[in-house]
Amino acid sequence: MSVADGIDVPLGDRPAAATRLNWSKLLPWGFAGLVFALCLVPFFLVLAISFGRKVEGAAWVWDFTFENYQRFFVGTLWPDEVTFLYIGQLGYSFWYAVIASCIAVLTALPFTLLLTRLRRSAQAAWLVFILSSLSLSEVFIVMGWDILLSNNSGLPALFKSTGLTQWLKDTGHFQTLRDWGLANPRNVKFKTSDFATILTMSYLVWPYAVILLYPALSRMDPSHSEAARTMGANNWQVLRTVILPSVRLPLFGTTLLLFVFLLGTYVAVTVFADPAKHTTAVAIYQNVRGANLNAPFGATMAVILLVSAGICLTLGHMLNRWAAAR
Amino acid sequence: MKLNRRSVLKTGVASVAAAGLATPLIAQARSLKIGSYGGYFENSFKEHVYPAFTEATGIEVESVTQPNSTDWLVTMQQATAAGNVPADLSLYARDTLIKASRIGGLLAPLDLAKIPAASNLDSYFVYEASEGALGVGAMSWFTAMVINPNEVEAPESWAEFWDSSVYEASLGLSRNYNSQFLDIVAATFFEGEATFATDDGIVALVEKAAEIKPNVALWWSAESQMEQSMKNGDIIGGQYYLDVSNLMALDGFPIQAVFPKEGNPQDYGSWCLSSISEKADEAAEFINFSSDPATQALMSRMIGTAPLVDKSMTDLTDDEFAFVSGTPSIKPAYEAYLDKETFIKETWDKMLAGA
Repeated sequence: MSVADGIDVPLGDRPAAATRLNWSKLLPWGFAGLVFALCLVPFFLVLAISFGRKVEGAAWVWDFTFENYQRFFVGTLWPDEVTFLYIGQLGYSFWYAVIASCIAVLTALPFTLLLTRLRRSAQAAWLVFILSSLSLSEVFIVMGWDILLSNNSGLPALFKSTGLTQWLKDTGHFQTLRDWGLANPRNVKFKTSDFATILTMSYLVWPYAVILLYPALSRMDPSHSEAARTMGANNWQVLRTVILPSVRLPLFGTTLLLFVFLLGTYVAVTVFADPAKHTTAVAIYQNVRGANLNAPFGATMAVILLVSAGICLTLGHMLNRWAAAR
Repeated sequence: MKLNRRSVLKTGVASVAAAGLATPLIAQARSLKIGSYGGYFENSFKEHVYPAFTEATGIEVESVTQPNSTDWLVTMQQATAAGNVPADLSLYARDTLIKASRIGGLLAPLDLAKIPAASNLDSYFVYEASEGALGVGAMSWFTAMVINPNEVEAPESWAEFWDSSVYEASLGLSRNYNSQFLDIVAATFFEGEATFATDDGIVALVEKAAEIKPNVALWWSAESQMEQSMKNGDIIGGQYYLDVSNLMALDGFPIQAVFPKEGNPQDYGSWCLSSISEKADEAAEFINFSSDPATQALMSRMIGTAPLVDKSMTDLTDDEFAFVSGTPSIKPAYEAYLDKETFIKETWDKMLAGA
């Protein structure tokens, strides 16, 4: 239901001022309704489903049971057997998201710093280029890296044709790669690996990192750095004592935002991560859709993922306030 | 006229009502909406099977794209609750069909008296529940052992895939617990379907499957992942659909489907009628058409599926038959996968996670 449905006023009959007044009163309610319909209702639906009960061999029914939450922490066979499978998956969600967001921000920071020192027109050109790369969806990016890392047409082919594979075999380093799961008996391989997963996830959010850091870095007063230099500080000291403290807040905020964004990554993890290291997002999909129609357990995992992300954001906020107060 | 949602709805309702009133006056073209798995599969149906059916019966077919069986069941479940389904007939694999039957209220019983040709099929392919026949077999497909013939010799047994000296980090297997790899393990190392009867049997199957993990480079969840990896040379063997493998081989890609001595798992799809469809008669005519040995042979030739009728009833040549079918066939332990769904899934996922 949109707000407009509620106003059935023949426009010509009333003075325009009255109509304007109605609008300004109704607008906040309209937004509240929109937030309610688009955010709260789906959330409460997921919450309600998470208490549902799975019927073996069929779908699920509404219920009020905590079994799904129990299963998340100790597995379905508890108390006979305990498994931390699902906590482990949650752990991998966080692990990938933390590492990939940190890598993205750490590599975007020097790039954006250099970017702000370019001419105005060059800056604009770069920003447009980076913005346009955001139009690529996760699926396209994963597909691209999939090809770049595949045996016959990607990086392993380069390794083989340049003789690098043979050199690795001759020097004995190849065995180390095999032990790390980065090679099969014939050639190096990068799928599936943590390397490919984290690379793709960082790549995915890198443009966001640049765009989020750009405003803060471009507003930075260059005279501070110059003053520090005239007082004898070297580059590293300038970065550590002048630049980083002045962009601490946007840096931290960007990392947190990218981290939350990456918690839900699905395609990159499905394609590039070993099933031993699959995340909660993948597990949610497999339960809700896929072969087993266990929406309640999928909803439970979604609620727990959301709550964990909420805790992380709160902790981040507190940490930030604590650091600012010092 | 000012167009808003209400007026559109009103007009819509009025025109639907008008159409309803007009029905007795004009001869209405008979039609049927049929679902099938999207892509090459659905296109072949649209190109070869539906036109033949329309020609034979005058019933127009509207093709509906299904992503697969299980996801489609979710869609149909929601659509049935909403009172408007996208397809009259859907194509469900046997486990999904049993699941739909257990959920209840989704499928309408079929009137077998109107489908005489169904007697051509083995009775296993006509699924009878307490309320009647809920599905009649449409076609069958194998999940075959595949290898890259440029890299390895065709194995005689599935057991060879466990040999790390040949296959270390080189195989592509399906990631889903119920995509029949456990049936392969059961047929190769245990007593087949009987091993699924106990929890201990299932744990033993999963433990045996765990031993192949060092040889698996890809646990695929989408068909296209396996196709790409075989083409790219990321893997040199695994499990994949027989029909697609043979088509890829025809296109010159290095892939060869193999029937090892234990055989390959055979699954089949059934035509199932939605409980709120009003096209029961048209559906019966289509199922009757599909069960005809000539149609079964047409599907084998054009789509690459295995016929559900005996080869002797069809005019398929030995070569054509070998392209789509083979022996022996491993019958999946459908009931166990459903009765012990959560247990098998969690045991399998734990094995994959090494937890």
